[in-house]
Amino acid sequence: MRFFKGFKEGMTCFGDLIAIIVNTVLLFIAYFIGVGITSIVAKIVGKNFLEMKTSAKVKTYWSDLNIKKRSLEECYRQF
Amino acid sequence: MYMLSVSCYYHDSSAALLKDGVIVAAAEEERFTRKKHDTSFPINAAKYCLESQNITINEIDYMGFYEKPLLKFERMLSQHLQMFPFSLKTFLSSMPSWINEKLRVLRAIRKKLKYKGDVLFIEHHLAHAASTFLVSPFEKAAILTVDGVGEWTTTTYGLGEGNKINLMKEIKFPHSLGLLYSTITAYLGFSVNNSEYKVMGLAPYGDMNRKTNSYYKKLRRVIDIKEDGSYRFDLSYFKFHYADRMPSKKMCVLLGGPIVKRDSEMTMKHKNIAASLQLVTEEILFKILHHLHKVTNCDNLVMAGGVALNSVANGKILRNTPFKKIWIQPNASDGGTSIGTTSYIYNSVLGHKRNYALKDAYLGPSFSTKEIKTFLVKNKIKYSEFKSESDMIKKVAKLIYDNHVVGWFMKGMEWGPRALGARSILANPCNPKAKELLNSKVKHREKFRPFAPVVCDDDALTYFDCDNPVPEPTDFMLMVYPVWKKWHKVIPSVTHVDGSGRLQTIRRHQNKAYYDLIKEFGKLSGTPILINTSFNIRGEPIVCTPFDAYKCMMGTGIDCIVMDKFMIWRKDNPQDIWDSEQYAKD
Repeated sequence: MRFFKGFKEGMTCFGDLIAIIVNTVLLFIAYFIGVGITSIVAKIVGKNFLEMKTSAKVKTYWSDLNIKKRSLEECYRQF
Repeated sequence: MYMLSVSCYYHDSSAALLKDGVIVAAAEEERFTRKKHDTSFPINAAKYCLESQNITINEIDYMGFYEKPLLKFERMLSQHLQMFPFSLKTFLSSMPSWINEKLRVLRAIRKKLKYKGDVLFIEHHLAHAASTFLVSPFEKAAILTVDGVGEWTTTTYGLGEGNKINLMKEIKFPHSLGLLYSTITAYLGFSVNNSEYKVMGLAPYGDMNRKTNSYYKKLRRVIDIKEDGSYRFDLSYFKFHYADRMPSKKMCVLLGGPIVKRDSEMTMKHKNIAASLQLVTEEILFKILHHLHKVTNCDNLVMAGGVALNSVANGKILRNTPFKKIWIQPNASDGGTSIGTTSYIYNSVLGHKRNYALKDAYLGPSFSTKEIKTFLVKNKIKYSEFKSESDMIKKVAKLIYDNHVVGWFMKGMEWGPRALGARSILANPCNPKAKELLNSKVKHREKFRPFAPVVCDDDALTYFDCDNPVPEPTDFMLMVYPVWKKWHKVIPSVTHVDGSGRLQTIRRHQNKAYYDLIKEFGKLSGTPILINTSFNIRGEPIVCTPFDAYKCMMGTGIDCIVMDKFMIWRKDNPQDIWDSEQYAKD
């Protein structure tokens, strides 16, 4: 019984290890191909995804939000 | 109509239940799992909410979630796109949790709670705004929310009127006052999203003068602050937008050394850095508030978000801005968004009129006399029973006066990070050695951190230089005020190095026994003030159940616990193997 329990635990650890390796490889690929290529193209065309810079010229950094009322339909959305 | 809302997967998961417009139960998950700042799905907190009203999940009309997960995911992807290839490490570490749980919130709610009804999502800062305005005593108020980050937003302002909220302007990630505070917290060797209040406590030891504190000038180089309080960072000083470390090397060079190692002794330099951070924070907040008053032309202010827990800044608001009244909910940080979500859906989305204002923080689990007695008997714990409440008040006041450290376990557990007389440890503030006593016996805290006083609302102005009338957020220990100089030597254990105190005021209708105890102690000592510190040891959440309280006492040097009408002495019971030192973490 103890043997089977230990064997099961060992297999679970082995499975987890395989999952970590596979996940890491897939995420590596996703990062360098998906994120990387998009990022390079964006940099070439001058697209910024975050507002990175300060400016002495502007008077304010506040931007419009204008959330007045959310309808029930809007609240079903996760975006 | 019942509505249940949850917040989770960032920090301080929580659940809140609303019944016909009234918040009837709310709690944070950490209190049940005993994991501080637990981020996991708040299954235990949700179960407590349902059990408190004897209902099942099938009776819930709507469920709410405190943010829009896809908007947050968009922001995270934008960070990686902007910072490629430097963000590889955080991409690899964060993506699995996004895929496995954060993007599957709906599935988690349905699976874990077996809920089949409608689930509604509202923006994070809208949840913050609602969490403070819709349960405030104000019909109309200016709203300010400031925290680390929600989906994209880090700071918003707007106006609340009736059951409507209009959030007008925002500042977006990566520019965040909350993240600035966290960055310096990390630089000083403390844990992020946990120890920011320690840096606030450290600040008064430093130079709080803008003209002479050189770190203030250095820190101002990092931020561009406009006249209306809006701000942006020079991001070369930060790494939080692409790495798991917050300050960059450039920030370390600016502050004159590497990141401080955890548990290092705080030097004068560190104290001055903490002071400069507090100065910058207050400068930004007050500028925003001046602007907000001008825009809204409203004298009432409500605030939420982690930065609204900065009680030192809060205590200065009415004296440094045109606002005349202020309200902050006890759980102003992310944990509090669950009550905001549920209130917003009920009042603003479904259009019901407001019929509730939060008057006390006792929204968590409570235990009846019978339940406590059963626990004591079942576990063979030696206890005695008070004859009456007045007998209890007199005996406990005398014990505290004789410098005993008393655990006080009454009513429903507090909502929010502060113990407010339901899960508190009480001690004598007139004892000059009380701080050392508490630290050696129970809390094991950093030496620089002060303990907080609790005073009855009608005595507050006698001992503290408060705004008059005393603002309601003091009931939730959210305002720091100067102690009048003549009392500094009378209550040394609760007077901070700068002569201030983070007081809690208590009104009799909120917690009668607690109020009467303070008054009774005043008859003995001449000073109706007690030390009130949270019923836990460092690194653990505040106790929730009688078992947690008993365990905490037996593992520390708390002399006794008053639990409802029962008194349990540590010396009468076999001391357990628990050693509080092993639990004492950051």
